[in-house]
Amino acid sequence: MGDKDGKSSPSKKNKKGKDMDELKKEVPITEHKMSIEECCRKFNTDIVQGLTNAKAAEFLIRDGPNCLTPPPTTPEWIKFCRQLFGGFSILLWTGAILCFLAYAIQAATEDEPAGDNLYLGIVLSVVVVVTGCFSYFQEAKSSKIMESFKNMVPQQALVIREGEKMTINAEEVVAGDLVEVKGGDRIPADLRVVSAHGCKVDNSSLTGESEPQSRSPDCTHDNPLETRNVAFFSTNCVEGTARGIVVCTGDRTVMGRIATLTSGLESGKTPIAKEIEHFIHLITGVAVFLGITFFILAVCLGYTWLEAVIFLIGIIVANVPEGLLATVTVCLTLTAKRMAKKNCLVKNLEAVETLGSTSTICSDKTGTLTQNRMTVAHMWFDNQIHEADTTEDQSGASFDKTSASWAALARVAALCNRAVFKAGQDQLPILKRDTAGDASESALLKCIELSCGSVKQIREKNKKVAEIPFNSTNKYQLSVHETEDPNDNRYLLVMKGAPERILDRCTTIIIQGKEQPMDEEMKESFQNAYMELGGLGERVLGFCHLLMPEDQYPKGFAFDCDDVNFTTESLCFVGLMSMIDPPRAAVPDAVGKCRSAGIKVIMVTGDHPITAKAIAKGVGIISEGNETVEDIASRLNIPVSQVNPRDAKACVIHGTDLKELSQDQMDDILRNHTEIVFARTSPQQKLIIVEGCQRLGAIVAVTGDGVNDSPALKKADIGVAMGISGSDVSKQAADMILLDDNFASIVTGVEEGRLIFDNLKKSIAYTLTSNIPEITPFLLFIIVNIPLPLGTITILCIDLGTDMVPAISLAYEAAESDIMKRQPRNPTRDKLVNERLISIAYGQIGMIQALGGFFSYFVILAENGFLPSILVGIRLNWDDRACNDLEDSYGQQWTYEQRKIVEFTCHTAFFVSIVVVQWADVIVCKTRRNSVFQQGMKNKILIFGLFEETALAAFLSYTPGMDVALRMFPLKPSWWFCAVPYSVLIFVYDEIRKLLIRRNPGGKWLSLSLCITFRPESCHEICICNFTHKSLIDTKTRKLSNASLFSSPTLSSYRLGGKGDILLSDGYRLYSYPYIFHLFLPPFIPSLARHVFRCPTP
Amino acid sequence: LSLPLSVSLALSVSLSAVADPSAEDGKKEKKEVDPFVYDYHSLRICGLVFGVVLFALGILLILSKSSYFSRKCRCSSNQEKKPKAPGDEEATAETLIVSKAKEPEPEPEPEAKAEN
Repeated sequence: MGDKDGKSSPSKKNKKGKDMDELKKEVPITEHKMSIEECCRKFNTDIVQGLTNAKAAEFLIRDGPNCLTPPPTTPEWIKFCRQLFGGFSILLWTGAILCFLAYAIQAATEDEPAGDNLYLGIVLSVVVVVTGCFSYFQEAKSSKIMESFKNMVPQQALVIREGEKMTINAEEVVAGDLVEVKGGDRIPADLRVVSAHGCKVDNSSLTGESEPQSRSPDCTHDNPLETRNVAFFSTNCVEGTARGIVVCTGDRTVMGRIATLTSGLESGKTPIAKEIEHFIHLITGVAVFLGITFFILAVCLGYTWLEAVIFLIGIIVANVPEGLLATVTVCLTLTAKRMAKKNCLVKNLEAVETLGSTSTICSDKTGTLTQNRMTVAHMWFDNQIHEADTTEDQSGASFDKTSASWAALARVAALCNRAVFKAGQDQLPILKRDTAGDASESALLKCIELSCGSVKQIREKNKKVAEIPFNSTNKYQLSVHETEDPNDNRYLLVMKGAPERILDRCTTIIIQGKEQPMDEEMKESFQNAYMELGGLGERVLGFCHLLMPEDQYPKGFAFDCDDVNFTTESLCFVGLMSMIDPPRAAVPDAVGKCRSAGIKVIMVTGDHPITAKAIAKGVGIISEGNETVEDIASRLNIPVSQVNPRDAKACVIHGTDLKELSQDQMDDILRNHTEIVFARTSPQQKLIIVEGCQRLGAIVAVTGDGVNDSPALKKADIGVAMGISGSDVSKQAADMILLDDNFASIVTGVEEGRLIFDNLKKSIAYTLTSNIPEITPFLLFIIVNIPLPLGTITILCIDLGTDMVPAISLAYEAAESDIMKRQPRNPTRDKLVNERLISIAYGQIGMIQALGGFFSYFVILAENGFLPSILVGIRLNWDDRACNDLEDSYGQQWTYEQRKIVEFTCHTAFFVSIVVVQWADVIVCKTRRNSVFQQGMKNKILIFGLFEETALAAFLSYTPGMDVALRMFPLKPSWWFCAVPYSVLIFVYDEIRKLLIRRNPGGKWLSLSLCITFRPESCHEICICNFTHKSLIDTKTRKLSNASLFSSPTLSSYRLGGKGDILLSDGYRLYSYPYIFHLFLPPFIPSLARHVFRCPTP
Repeated sequence: LSLPLSVSLALSVSLSAVADPSAEDGKKEKKEVDPFVYDYHSLRICGLVFGVVLFALGILLILSKSSYFSRKCRCSSNQEKKPKAPGDEEATAETLIVSKAKEPEPEPEPEAKAEN
């Protein structure tokens, strides 16, 4: 990290950059290494009395209040201006200014300047302002929802000052204060713990550890984040009490530093903004090229300089697609709305598309991929590992509950457990109920409640007589109960704790409900089970019990828990239970879909590597069959150093190792491993990982919920925060919020993003096409001196009127191919608007459209007596007000007014012709590769658009008064049909073009859309194959991996809870993590049947 | 369900059929009188009627949620969309083969249900 900072800081110039680098470094707290006395001395405080009030007041003034500086908010008017002058608007503003300039020139030189340029300038400005307001209000709406997330409740803190306990506002806490926290409190500042009683804190939002961490006064680690004697600002105390000296307050706390780092980061432009910029460059290039060419031509043809300049400006402005800004905004808004309906709230309109371009997702584990609650995952009894149902909705399979051993285990787990459900939640499902007590005890409580009924009743039947709570020296918890049977006067001793400690105290073991002596074989199988469960990243607890002999412990025996007067040896081992924070149900499916969409999913977590790896395997981030370097080493029994790192597709990297990596090594890892897990990462490291991915050209999405994720969320191209469990800081930093915390919504986001990108392409192609029939009349007017075929007003009617609805309707177009089966777009190669699109729109379709327009123009003039031959060069006389006897081809004389009516009728006809050819264009633009006959006409909005467009054209032409208002005249019915052949021509031409594209694969389109085909021999093979995510690799090479070789009977028995090893051809065990099956097979298989096989649903 | 749509379609067809010939007729009649005078009044009315009908049709189309179109869309998004995927030609060929070897295939489904 050091060299990273060293390299980046010189480029950043000022002090701010330096501060940021400073913040990126690790936490500077050192107090945890000091003794309590040193600590007191440092802060001028007393370990008993606390600070004096005077000192506290002094410190408060010196350090400021203990709260986070809110991130600098941009004033509303700046936000508004950003909408007004950002991106696409610039193009329109330039156009407007040029228009005004042209009008000014005309006004200065001519007596009666034509108002066209003035009107055009005004209309352009109005369009920009209206669209700007529209998108401003759109974003204001989502920021309002953001406001509602803010937690306004002021925090209280219990401090000791001058020896008195007092409750003050958490903001008034100062460094050196002696603070007391108890279970349920939020920690008011960074504390150096001086005394603690069973205190546990939940650091998950800071470090990503799901399990509560115990706190004690001793320094256990050099790293302040790891040591036990520091409690952090805004984390929660789960249970117990603790007293500590405040070492940092406000922005200087660990949380504060992260928040400051986050608000100091600047996120780059969104991909769509870059695309629009590229588009503007292209359009400007075309406009300037055309403008200059015709400027030179005009000068050569003998126009004056000023006239030529006005032409130049006119041509440049005519190239500006007036309606496109509104179209793009509306399309993005529609998608944002659609996503909001699916619980994705997008804060910034442009971020709508970003997920679609995403090529890497860095996901936090705790709370994002997992449920952030400990759950019993496995049990070991009867010398067998059983798995519990860990799904949120209890849809997974269950295990055999008939064994007497299970009854014994459940009884021990229920009795030797201090967790209780909080009152008044009887109607809630068990898993949703709140509990009071330790996380793992709560997990046990819920597990027993689910499988054996009311724990309360069990406890009532077995009255507790004595109890020794858990402590870290004993590593066990013990209680003595009366038995259920009133005639049985024996006492029941139950104990749980660290498995090895429990085993040491046991001489017998229960198998199938019968006590058997604990032999070596049993011990070994215990060890195996313990190792296996531990290897899954699960926290394992051992359970044992003893029915105390009545002769030694008669009824009424006084159990003394402080000075233990009863046996705690030679007990009977009952079983093991292991707990984990299980993955959310929808995650594996979502990860699989991301994979098949070509998106790399990286896990970046603060949690321990073993847990991280287990979850990564569980959700498919490390797919089955892929091994890490360590796995290969242990399989081949060789040292890690001998393994070629290139053999391992997966890798798990520890935060401490990450610190020592150079930038090149980092790039190397990110480039060469497809499946990466970063464990024990600090928030700063998360940021560095995101930067690393971006350096390699990836568009990075980060998902997370904790404060520790927020710098990465901000830095990412798109940060996705969790709406329910997410912290405020993370929501502030994110661009998108999943309101239902469902990771699977990301898949929706990707899908919608890709769809809108494709559809925007179509919209733009459609809108740009009509630019050609709009410019060419003006060009011919200049070059060959014909009466103007199409006026400014009619151009605006097309761009802002008839073209709008069809262009927007293309946003509703369904995807042409399965967009989730192709690779993410390459931001350097796949542009929103490329030269190809421009050449099709301008050069091919646009030209045919212009021909259609001119055809109807010449038809009308000819019907009125002006044959095309006479038109060339007629302009000067035609536009001469004084000339009232202009003769047509038949010798009729035309006054100026009469001529103008014919001219405006021509404008109207040209306009209607463009509408007619745009019918074909919108149908043609619907698809980019498929034929319309393949795609169908299912887009209702598009059909609506066709109707409305035509109706609008009819209204504009026929409404009385239009001749005065917009100078548009009624058309004879036959004139409507002039352009129809050209419309047909466009359709046929483009269908042939697409046919050729389809016939000659190898174009960009084909390489983009991966052909996913499977061998059809057996569905099962493929289910598993895909399920393990190997399918991606396999389908590309079209080979099924060895994963396909196990047979379905084994699989089904396994899934139903039976015990059978699934063996692969080369002898590996496929699943050492069996619960994974339960988690995501059910949702996966139906989707497979749809996605891959396309077989008829049964 | 598709009744309103078909009715409106029929209506529009008949209307436009009425609209156009009437314009033509008017034109012919006037032509005999004076080829340089054109009945712009009835043209305007016909054009406006045409516009209103189209507009109404469009609105009807949008509002007809339970119509033929949207139902087709909904089905298609679930089932028909997939066969449209790239590699379609190969896929259809495969489905044929798969359906032959169909016996083992329904198995995963019931299992999944059993677990649910």
